[in-house]
Amino acid sequence: MANNKDIIYGLYNDEEDLLRAVKQANSDHLEIMDVYTPFPVHGLDPLLGLTESRLHIAGFIYGLLGTLTAFLGMTWIFTKDWPIIFGGKPHWSLPAFIPIIFELTVLFSAIGMTVTFYIVNGLGPGVVNPTIDLRITDDKFCIAFDKSEVEASKAESFLRSSGAAEIHSKTI
Amino acid sequence: MTYNFTSKSKTWLAAGMVLGLLCLVLTWFGDDELHTRFWSNFLHNSVFFTGIAIMAGFFMSASITAWAGWYVVFKRVWEAISLYLIIGIPLMLLVGIGIIGDWHHLYHWSDLTTIDPDHENFDKILFGKKGFLNSTWYLGVTLVLGIIWIFIISKIRSLSLAEDTHGPDGFNRQYGMRKWAAMFLPFAGFGSAAVIWLWIMSVDAHWYSTLFAWYTGASWFVSMICLTILILLYLKSKGYFAEVTVEHFHDLGKFLFAFSIFWTYLWFSQYMLIWYGNIGEETVYFKERFTNYPVLFYGNLLINFVAPFLILMRNDTKRKMGSLAFVAGLVLLGHWVDFFLMVKPGVLHTAHSAMAHGTHDSVAEHGHSVEELAQGAEHASTFEMGFTIPGFLELGTFIGFLCLFIFFVFYILSKAPLVGKNDVYIEESKHHHT
Repeated sequence: MANNKDIIYGLYNDEEDLLRAVKQANSDHLEIMDVYTPFPVHGLDPLLGLTESRLHIAGFIYGLLGTLTAFLGMTWIFTKDWPIIFGGKPHWSLPAFIPIIFELTVLFSAIGMTVTFYIVNGLGPGVVNPTIDLRITDDKFCIAFDKSEVEASKAESFLRSSGAAEIHSKTI
Repeated sequence: MTYNFTSKSKTWLAAGMVLGLLCLVLTWFGDDELHTRFWSNFLHNSVFFTGIAIMAGFFMSASITAWAGWYVVFKRVWEAISLYLIIGIPLMLLVGIGIIGDWHHLYHWSDLTTIDPDHENFDKILFGKKGFLNSTWYLGVTLVLGIIWIFIISKIRSLSLAEDTHGPDGFNRQYGMRKWAAMFLPFAGFGSAAVIWLWIMSVDAHWYSTLFAWYTGASWFVSMICLTILILLYLKSKGYFAEVTVEHFHDLGKFLFAFSIFWTYLWFSQYMLIWYGNIGEETVYFKERFTNYPVLFYGNLLINFVAPFLILMRNDTKRKMGSLAFVAGLVLLGHWVDFFLMVKPGVLHTAHSAMAHGTHDSVAEHGHSVEELAQGAEHASTFEMGFTIPGFLELGTFIGFLCLFIFFVFYILSKAPLVGKNDVYIEESKHHHT
């Protein structure tokens, strides 16, 4: 991140504690900057007000592109560019195209979605993403507040009362 | 909460069954002298619903074996559906007894003159298959597998009911269920293939496909998921199953979506392998369907693949009950048509050739000459109600069998609490989240 942020964050030992704390923060109207978990926690997305990802719409379009590429490509190759007779079948043999149509559909949507995901999230080779605490990739659940949005003392007392095992401040 | 099977629903379902019976009777009397249409409709619907029961038992057993928890709130529905075997197997036995009693000509191989080397009807292919395609195997496999299936399903059911009254007893009842479920799996997996060969594939006795059992099994499976969704939605609309949430329907919708694609994969592969492998002698199956059943053949793909694929692709259509119910109903009907396509062409062919060979003397009774019928076998008229497209009598018969099925399922459901309260996985299931 280009602009540095002063944050205060709490680490929880259990995802149930985390869910309770997020609910508490919502009812206390504390603006959570972000939540970090080692794995997807069921029921967290609606609590944080996250909308459904639109990645799969992109995926559908990439898939459709793959379908068309395979279908039109093979049609052109086997009827115009280089017609070859395979096993006495007609040049334009739709059943023989279907496995390849399927494969290119999957390939296009998989690669397209991966690339889109990386670009949208600013990921890629050489990108440095600050990790708040290495243990959030292992067994800790973290709620972070931006000090410019939430008063530090308020955030700290909230974290303490909601059962955070550790509370730290950091500039990222 | 126990399902209250009201007398009103009983009346409606009984009315549906009477309609089905009436259609069967009407079919019988308006039929040719071999009662081809009657028997093929009987076989078609019996096979369809019996298979749905097998698949419910199979999926329930697979879930128990895998320690799955998500489905537990509505496990009584699958128990009830799989117990329909108690009705389905006798219906199939009736078809089997009909082979011995010479009641019908559903199966070409049931004509014993075809395996008599001195007879003019001698058929080398059927002679080679006579070790498996005979009435002893037909009845034996149906009876033995039927008994094993029903026995194991009843065991699982009684353990599940025992949990309600006596508690889970640690994990002991779950272990017991798992033992029976694990035993059920091979009998259902291999056994369903054997009964599919005998019950359905052997109507085209000259033809075979190693993929056919998978293809038919997938068709049954998708139909089972459709019926589960529809039954759950109905019961929910009546105020039962408050514990069954949109999350459970979402997962059932995923199964409907995924197995529709699986079915299509097999549907296509069966054609693809014969076509690409230049297996000329097996093309007869598709030639018949391309030529005489084009609307159903391609419509089948549209209803059973394109519709669920495009409609259920998005998250929200699986979570909205309207779209889910629409697709479930459509695909259920689609797979019923799929079975129509599996059964009718072969049966029609067998009946025509049986009549042409004069195995029955009263051929000309209905004004069809032998030549006309023999020709009909090769060039079936484009649209013949009940043979090349399902007519009203077929739909009526379907409604009758469906009502019988639903009646039985609701009857079983009304016998025990809808939600097994002591199942070890009940809490996981209630909090299921996709």
